[in-house]
Amino acid sequence: MRIKSLIAATLAMAAVAAIAAPAARADDIEETAAVCSACHGEAGVPVDKSIPAIWGQNEGYLYLQLRDFKVGNRKNVNMSEIAAGMEKPVMKALAAYFSAKPWPNLQEPSAPHDVAVHAENINNSAGCKGCHLENWQGDSVTPRVGGQGIQYLRETMAQFRSGERANNPWMAALLKTYTDADIDALARYLAGY
Amino acid sequence: MVKFATRALVAGAVALAIAGAAQAQEVKSATKYGNMNTVTQDLMNRSADDGNNFLHTNGNYQQTRFYPNKQINTANVSKLHPAWVFQTEVKDSLETSPIVVNGVMYVTTSFDHVYALNARTGEELWHYKQKLGPVSTYCCGPNNRGVAVYGDMVYLATLDAKLVALNAKTGAQVWSTDVADPELGYSETMAPTVINGKVLLGTNGGEYGIRGFVKAFDAKSGKLLWTFNTIPENSQGVWATTDATGRDMHRDIAAEKAAYAKNGDPYKTLGGGVWQNPSYDPATNRIFFVVGNPSPDLDGAVRPGDNLYTDSMVSIDLDTGKYSCHFQYIAHDVWDLDAVSPTVLVDVKDASGATVPGVLHAGKTGHIYVHNRKDCSLIRFSEAMVPQENMWVLPTKDGARMLPGANGGVEWSPIATDPSQGMAYAINLHQPMTYHVENAAYPSGKLWLGGAFKVIPTEEQWGNITAVNYNSGKIAWQVKTEQPMIGGILATAGGLVFTGEPNGTFEALDSATGAKLWSFQAGAGVNAPPSSYTVEGKQYVVVGAGGNAQIDAKRGNAIISFTVD
Ligand code: HEC
Ligand code: HEC
Repeated sequence: MRIKSLIAATLAMAAVAAIAAPAARADDIEETAAVCSACHGEAGVPVDKSIPAIWGQNEGYLYLQLRDFKVGNRKNVNMSEIAAGMEKPVMKALAAYFSAKPWPNLQEPSAPHDVAVHAENINNSAGCKGCHLENWQGDSVTPRVGGQGIQYLRETMAQFRSGERANNPWMAALLKTYTDADIDALARYLAGY
Repeated sequence: MVKFATRALVAGAVALAIAGAAQAQEVKSATKYGNMNTVTQDLMNRSADDGNNFLHTNGNYQQTRFYPNKQINTANVSKLHPAWVFQTEVKDSLETSPIVVNGVMYVTTSFDHVYALNARTGEELWHYKQKLGPVSTYCCGPNNRGVAVYGDMVYLATLDAKLVALNAKTGAQVWSTDVADPELGYSETMAPTVINGKVLLGTNGGEYGIRGFVKAFDAKSGKLLWTFNTIPENSQGVWATTDATGRDMHRDIAAEKAAYAKNGDPYKTLGGGVWQNPSYDPATNRIFFVVGNPSPDLDGAVRPGDNLYTDSMVSIDLDTGKYSCHFQYIAHDVWDLDAVSPTVLVDVKDASGATVPGVLHAGKTGHIYVHNRKDCSLIRFSEAMVPQENMWVLPTKDGARMLPGANGGVEWSPIATDPSQGMAYAINLHQPMTYHVENAAYPSGKLWLGGAFKVIPTEEQWGNITAVNYNSGKIAWQVKTEQPMIGGILATAGGLVFTGEPNGTFEALDSATGAKLWSFQAGAGVNAPPSSYTVEGKQYVVVGAGGNAQIDAKRGNAIISFTVD
């Protein structure tokens, strides 16, 4: 768990309560979404560097992550609890709601030339953009990774490698074949893209 | 068929849903056959001799990709020039095979847009955008390879695994049917094939632990008529130890048999996608198609047995979907060197020199396989069109180098044939890769490769265009290309073949010698199969230039039609 403060934990509890009796109706979704904003940010900029941006993220991806947190394929102290009681229509409505928002500018710096070349070489061998597409925007169940927070990217890629993030064996297997230096270059390059 | 490496997939009537579609417009008729505003079965049956239209993704039911008009030929092709360029709204991978009916062209783009164009001028007649559901689980790019035409409808299969029928004149949706559940990894990128009122469709998903199929839907209503599961409930086969060419595949049969006895048959998540159109033999009313890789691609431990009918050519009955025969190229494949490029029906010489009805398939292995249509048996296989090294070394944790890489050889790209020369034309990739295995449990509809394929960055990559005499298996000529080739090729009666390269080159070669006679720089990767057609007495050649996600070729959004004056 990377959000250490009590406040965060309290928030998470509040979130669980708010989502306990959810419906997929539009105004209820607004209400539920407000809970998410406590961490993922009022204007889409997350309140902590270890929290990913979800505004403007691809709809299918958001839905599947919520599903995975719920069924336990992906685990996170905050998110697992939040998703635990969520029904499919709510997850789908939240995914549609957040994907329709504009992607936030996280003010991550562009990677220097040598780092960019390093990362592009990895892309050339692994074909990342075959799935994450031109400009790293992804589509549907493949996430946008360009412009995502650098710390979150580093952490989630590290979790894929360690097996802690187990909801996509392919990404895990692929990233395991790279070194720490490679992952660092990728995180810097993608965040600043 | 995977392929990210460089890389590394509402029943009933639905209301009109044409977002931003243009008004329907009157289309000028120009044809020599009867009333062509409707595509009759008779017209489809005769498509191989139709010097005006291009009615089927691969030209005709035999899938020869041989266009019978020779107005554009070896003597005048140097004067070929763009007649028009149409810009689509979507700048991403273009794999569409333009279909032309009576002066109207239908093309598709990534993300399932369909355009009807005036084939003479490139003017837009209508534009249909599929509203995709939240989950589309596709492999290898948001591609679409084109529509099928039949009656007064145009058929599109979508990334979120739906089959949609559109009114050919207006682009309005007539019906939409769910083909399979996209959350489980099913998706559609192929063009449908329509025969005798049946819309035939395979599926992607061999990278997601699906159970593959070919399905037939009623062309009028969209109702499901039959399903042929490409993975039978007993998928163990004969425990073959060698591939179709006799090479040892290093299987540990004893270990596999033990696993099979312990865990049972893996058929429910065994993959077996069908990526490309079946060919159709009216004489026997059978269709012929190839089945792709088993799931997970690289890890054989969780799927003991031959994994029938993966990596196979299969024939079934058109009316019932009942099995007729099959031939497996690679049993228990752990390299994803599967079977994707569409089958072609031509007469071939058998081993004794007698002419028999045959079936051709170009494999990712780099061989063109020649079969007897009667029983699917293998008559011969061609010389390898690309380097093969270290076959069949088993994938390892750290990666084992083997050639060809997992994209082939011949990927999904359709081949062309010129039966008058007994020649097949294929485009190939040479992409040295390492094959990595990594065990993982079935991840419920997420990508399931059981490892990874990686291009070796220090090794040179290239491609080639290869002409093979299918009656001898010998390579007649070969032209090397700067980059690995994905897309397709067309042969014409003008003694030409047309194909494109990822660097934007679109070119015409002499089909007898391979001599390059003309080329054009399209500005974006030409990774789509060309078509040819004739309107008001003038022949055109058309191709999409939109690049390719799978090999990360430069993206664009142009449909370019060429002619000579
Ligand atoms: C208490 C803080 C907190 C709250 C409240 C919260 N999240 Fe999260 N969320 C996180 C953290 C931390 C992660 C990163 C988890 C990880 O690293 O695995 C995350 C990850 C996610 C992801 C995965 C994104 C990606 O790029 O993989 C989604 C989707 C998501 N949250 C949606 C929501 C929604 C919807 C809500 C409201 C219903 C919500 N979250 C509420 C902290 C929170
Ligand atoms: C075969 C397709 C494919 C390829 C190739 C691929 N990815 Fe992914 N990637 C995905 C999918 C799908 C996900 C979503 C994982 C899930 O299901 O939770 C993902 C997730 C990610 C994430 C996590 C994003 C988030 O918000 O949590 C990162 C970072 C990432 N990929 C980076 C890469 C990099 C870097 C490469 C190349 C080295 C790469 N990917 C290659 C398909 C792919």
